Amino acid sequence: MPSTKEIRGRIKSVKNTRQITKAMELVAASKMKKAQQNASSGQAYAALLAEVLANVSGRIDGIEHSFFEEREVKTRGILVVSTDRGLCGALNSNLFREIVKIKTAAKYVTIGRKAVQFVSRNKLDLLAEFSVSDEVPYLQVKQIVEYMIEKYEAGEIDTIEILYPRFVNTLVQEASFGKLLPISNLDDMINGLRGKDAEPYQESLDDRMLKFEPDPEAILSSLLPLFVNREAHQALLNARASEHSARMVAMKSAKDNATTLLDGLTLQYNKARQAAITQEILEIAAATASNG
Amino acid sequence: MSLQLEIVTPHGKVYDETIDSVVMPTTTGEVGIMPGHIPLLTELQPGDIAVSSSGTVVHLAVSKGFAQCIGDKVSILAENAISESDINVNEVEAAMARAQDALKNAKEMSAEELAQLETTIQYANIQQLLKKKR
Repeated sequence: MPSTKEIRGRIKSVKNTRQITKAMELVAASKMKKAQQNASSGQAYAALLAEVLANVSGRIDGIEHSFFEEREVKTRGILVVSTDRGLCGALNSNLFREIVKIKTAAKYVTIGRKAVQFVSRNKLDLLAEFSVSDEVPYLQVKQIVEYMIEKYEAGEIDTIEILYPRFVNTLVQEASFGKLLPISNLDDMINGLRGKDAEPYQESLDDRMLKFEPDPEAILSSLLPLFVNREAHQALLNARASEHSARMVAMKSAKDNATTLLDGLTLQYNKARQAAITQEILEIAAATASNG
Repeated sequence: MSLQLEIVTPHGKVYDETIDSVVMPTTTGEVGIMPGHIPLLTELQPGDIAVSSSGTVVHLAVSKGFAQCIGDKVSILAENAISESDINVNEVEAAMARAQDALKNAKEMSAEELAQLETTIQYANIQQLLKKKR
């Protein structure tokens, strides 16, 4: 049986741990709230982009653009979105399990330290690694996507996919693949942008012919990269929300575990203390009896 | 008659107001839009948007984007936009200095990073010009 002093030492350290995890939980909770707000702030942009795309696509038949070209997939290009720091439960390992499942040739671009570590440790083909700050600035994402598009057009990779922890709710994040290129269907893509709960698209009240400057084809070809950028940006924002909620949940359970442990230890401590007191009384009583 | 002007960036709607007319830089030259303009979809160049409403002119800096004018609604889809009064000259200068510094060490940089820096500088330039015009 450990002495009361030993137990006191353990209680102290568990209390410390609990305090730290509690603080981390609170930090993650406030970051999560922010990340969720950020994730929904792009809605207006998506809606307008969808509207412009719908207007342009209506005017073009038989689009010819490298983004639509379905070619034989020899090498997949996968953008892995992980976190920089750990302590977020199984978030990253769920992602990496998906990577392990991939049997075909693939090249990887990574965001976050954890993914770089995983990809290089497993000797997978790493094209580039990036880091994106916590508030996910659009320009940083754009840079990454443009890099991948360049590789795509050069034929180094035949698809652009993004693997990220999709935010389902605070407790559930799902490792999921999003396909960015090639685009298989423009209409699906426009509907996807508009979102599920948006009102159906209305023909504009203005019945005059829409004029394009310079011309619909040119506009479409500069619009498409924007679409890819925005999809990636949205996925990243989503991944950030996942990260913070996963961390919050992990820290909450760590805190709860510490509390349980603390209860057990306190009980043990009290028992030990009581045993010591009883022991002392016994000794005194025995001594008095033998003297008297 | 008045126009509704909205400017939307990936980080949210940054401008949404009723105005009289707007002049914006497109890839094929400057375009002025007044109420009753024909429906138009055009590509924007980084530059300065002049918005006039009830006699006063407000300037905004935008980066590359698109403008759509349908009915009495002008929607601008841009990567970045800032109103002239919000431009912080010091901050812009610092951003520009950083970008130019990075450009000097451009040897080991990929083409994308270069392009990225150039965009930053362009946008910073516009903001500076706009501020100095006052």
